[in-house]
Amino acid sequence: MKRYIVTPSRCTACRSCELACAFRHGSMGLPGKTRIRAYMIAEGRHMPLTCLQCEEAACVKVCPVGALVRNEQTGAVDVLDAKCIGCEACMAACPFGAMAMLAKPDSGPTAYKCDLCGGDPACVLFCPTKALQYVEPPRRTQSPR
Amino acid sequence: MTPIRSGAELEQARAAARQKSQAHEVEILVCAGTGCLAHGSAKVADAIRQEMKQAGLGGDVRYFTKTTGCHGFCEKGPLVVVQPAGTFYVKVKPIDAAAIVERTVKKGEVIDKLLYRDPNTKKRVASYHDIDFYAKQQRLALRNIGRIDPADLDDALSVGAYGALAKVLASMTAEQVIAEVEQSGLRGRGGGGFPTGRKWRTCRRVNVTPRYVICNSDEGDPGAFMDRSVDEGDPHSVLEGMLICAYAVDAHQGFIYVRDEYPLAIKHLRLAIDQARQAGLLGQNILGSGFDFDVEISRGGGAFVCGESSALMKSVAGEVGEPRAKYVHSVAKGLYDHPTVLNNVETFACVPWIFAHGAAAFAAIGTKKSPGTKVFSLVGKVKNTGLVEVPMGVSLREVIFGVGGGILDDRPYKAVQTGGPSGGCLPAAMLDEPVDFDSLTEKGSMMGSGGMIVMDDRTCMVDVARYFLKFLSDESCGKCLPCREGVKQLLVILQDICDGHGKPGDIERIEVLGSVVSKASLCGLGKSAPNPVLSTVRFFRDEYEAHIRDHKCPAGVCRKLTRFDISAEKCTGCMVCARACPTQAIVGEKKQAHTISQDKCTQCGACRTVCKFDAVLTA
Amino acid sequence: MITFWINGKKVEGHPGEMVLAVAQRHGFEIPAHCHHGGVEPFGSCRLCVVEITHKDWKGWKGQVTSCLYPIEEGLEVTTESAELLQVRKVLADLLLARCPDAPEVQKLAAQYGIAKSSYSEHPDRPLCTLCTLCVRACEAIGASALGTAGRGPARKVGTPFDLPPEACVGCGTCARICPTHAIDCTEDERVRTIWKREFSFVRCDVCGRPTLTEAYRALLSERSGLSVEYFKRCDQCKRDEQAKAFSQIVR
Repeated sequence: MKRYIVTPSRCTACRSCELACAFRHGSMGLPGKTRIRAYMIAEGRHMPLTCLQCEEAACVKVCPVGALVRNEQTGAVDVLDAKCIGCEACMAACPFGAMAMLAKPDSGPTAYKCDLCGGDPACVLFCPTKALQYVEPPRRTQSPR
Repeated sequence: MTPIRSGAELEQARAAARQKSQAHEVEILVCAGTGCLAHGSAKVADAIRQEMKQAGLGGDVRYFTKTTGCHGFCEKGPLVVVQPAGTFYVKVKPIDAAAIVERTVKKGEVIDKLLYRDPNTKKRVASYHDIDFYAKQQRLALRNIGRIDPADLDDALSVGAYGALAKVLASMTAEQVIAEVEQSGLRGRGGGGFPTGRKWRTCRRVNVTPRYVICNSDEGDPGAFMDRSVDEGDPHSVLEGMLICAYAVDAHQGFIYVRDEYPLAIKHLRLAIDQARQAGLLGQNILGSGFDFDVEISRGGGAFVCGESSALMKSVAGEVGEPRAKYVHSVAKGLYDHPTVLNNVETFACVPWIFAHGAAAFAAIGTKKSPGTKVFSLVGKVKNTGLVEVPMGVSLREVIFGVGGGILDDRPYKAVQTGGPSGGCLPAAMLDEPVDFDSLTEKGSMMGSGGMIVMDDRTCMVDVARYFLKFLSDESCGKCLPCREGVKQLLVILQDICDGHGKPGDIERIEVLGSVVSKASLCGLGKSAPNPVLSTVRFFRDEYEAHIRDHKCPAGVCRKLTRFDISAEKCTGCMVCARACPTQAIVGEKKQAHTISQDKCTQCGACRTVCKFDAVLTA
Repeated sequence: MITFWINGKKVEGHPGEMVLAVAQRHGFEIPAHCHHGGVEPFGSCRLCVVEITHKDWKGWKGQVTSCLYPIEEGLEVTTESAELLQVRKVLADLLLARCPDAPEVQKLAAQYGIAKSSYSEHPDRPLCTLCTLCVRACEAIGASALGTAGRGPARKVGTPFDLPPEACVGCGTCARICPTHAIDCTEDERVRTIWKREFSFVRCDVCGRPTLTEAYRALLSERSGLSVEYFKRCDQCKRDEQAKAFSQIVR
């Protein structure tokens, strides 16, 4: 299974990832909401931050209706939008602030998060510096530089 | 009562009970069903017992006074029957006790003025067996009611109670029991008419335990009192039926859901359960067979919708009585989501008879598709009002004019409303229709649980529809949109029509809305709610048109559309109407034509009802 | 997998699924006002009625609410027909009579060409359609503070005896899931007010802004087993702090 790998030292906070994400999740040509954010912490220090698809996810634990499930193909924790009742428990429980609520025109708000674009993450495609990668993990584990 | 631990001991107890009653040479049976009690029959029974004591016969076993369940002839109560002659006294008062004891009990004489007078022949009838009301009935479910004291297990034993159960437990397998019920063709008497044997078989097949047996004694239809009579008058027949069912489906816990408005039924059922437990006929190892079964009473809370099976089961479980979609049947997932057989009181009462006399004997009565008998509550504008049991397939005419004796005051027959709020009204043209599960449904009504309300020319069919819609709107649980809002809106339209605000197109609106309510409602209440209005629109459309188009109520019922006047030619000046009028609106001297002053008249119709000369006219 | 047919198209679903869920997954549009994928189906609005038949049923057809009808092998479902349209139209008309002022109900009725109900309007003109989504959602989150009271036309959704409910945690889910926004839920810096109760907020340990209500935090922590530490910070500060923490690690 591929893994989503972030190399912060390569990040220039160009925010291409945010734009790509927003458009990939929009509809009818209009941008949606981005699920990844490029932080500028200080001069030269940048950090792309998105859902870590935790193995023991707090959001999955706290969801009362089973609307958060692991996608075995992509490895992501997906929001089943039709099931989400908008209780905001996941947003409160996520230690990383990776969950947010999306207002909808014809129904109540539902939770949204990074879903690895179903297996072809847009941010990875558009990141000019390969700070974001979606690859089979190397056989030997390497400590991040 | 010592516990009965085997079939043999049961027969011994039965023989002892029979011996006891054989010692009675004269039995005085005083009806103590709810109807007669309301008329004061308890005082009559006390007076008779007092007179017996004073006559020195109080301790003499040859003369026995007992109170029984409902004889069915409720409008004529208090009823007293003296056996073995079958002398039948009606409207008995406590002061008649002395004469009854002195003349009838001691000397076998018949007291003429207490006898029933046939409304058609005008002759007094001395014996039970010669009264048309009884002679034309075939009492099967009601077989023991009026004969036994429902509070006495021995009396029940003496007429055969628990004999069928003993036979089943000793010599039949569950499969054989189910087959017997299937062969009898018994169909649910609560209104649904579902084949009882098939229901039991399907339940037994569901591989989940425990299973439950529930008896539906909610009887919510206004004017229906069939189940009440069985509960009050022969509670052991219900218990026996439930026991046989439980044996067939391997259930060990039963419930009788009784509407709380039946205190006497609850009392007698409780008594019967206690007695049966003491006798070992309920509980563990019944009659030494190893079979366990016990019954609890669950009281209703005053909701018609709790007669619906899924709502009833929620109510038994302590939840709010709301039906659920029955795409998964309650025989599979019923009480507590477990397999449950729910049958009506009357259905259970038939079961012991089937096992005592055989399935073929039951199937031989009635019709091929609707075997057996049916109990009806025959009420309304009919001469003989009460509870009647006739073989299925008998025509409406035979029930209303044969057993019922025809229309009160011999007024023209207009319609009969069958099946309670779920049923419809059928006109005179349908009088020869057979009464069974299927024929009336084809004609736009249904037999339902057995309510039959007879109507004459002074009944307004639009008002009848309005009445039932009001009832159903109040009783709707409110869960689903079409019933909650749709029945309410049908009522609004009907009320407007009765108030003179009907508009052209109203009938079409009723038909469209009624059709959708019927198709889309969640449960039987909503699905059948449009039946009264749709059947009256179908058969009495001219009455609707008179209300809507002409703002007139031809029957003289809808007050805003009625005007009463007195015909000068017909009026004899007897002043009966003037005395009956609640607002003193009628003026006129004795022997002179009366007149109604319209500004005082409230259109109540009392004058018309009491006038013996048909001199009150509606305009 | 169970194979059956919707409008002549072959579809598949898992045992135990209802017709509506499978239909929606395959893109069939069936109106279903009181339905929500996250809570138990209730079958109260009846708009999702469909016609069903089966080759083994000897021509027998039925009309059922698809939200509650379990799928079965070989079932043939029809979601649109003249009769179904008439049923849905009258249902929408009845709903509009009850809630003439609710924009969402007006929109539903407009789909059937109804601008004003042909029936008598409810004197109170409520916004609540009695769909009970709030009741079921409240049950789902574990508070069960809401229920229905009364019978028939007098039925209403609310709290036990109309009193401020003890079981409520002020999460606001009921207000958010309500299709007609019939539930009053207001908040300011200090408190959230709903069902006549005031709920104080947990304040973010970094910036001090309000996050979730204290009562809701207690419920979530107890139900999920997650310690209250998970719920002490607003999501913005969580991200800020996380970004800083990660960048330290990377260094």
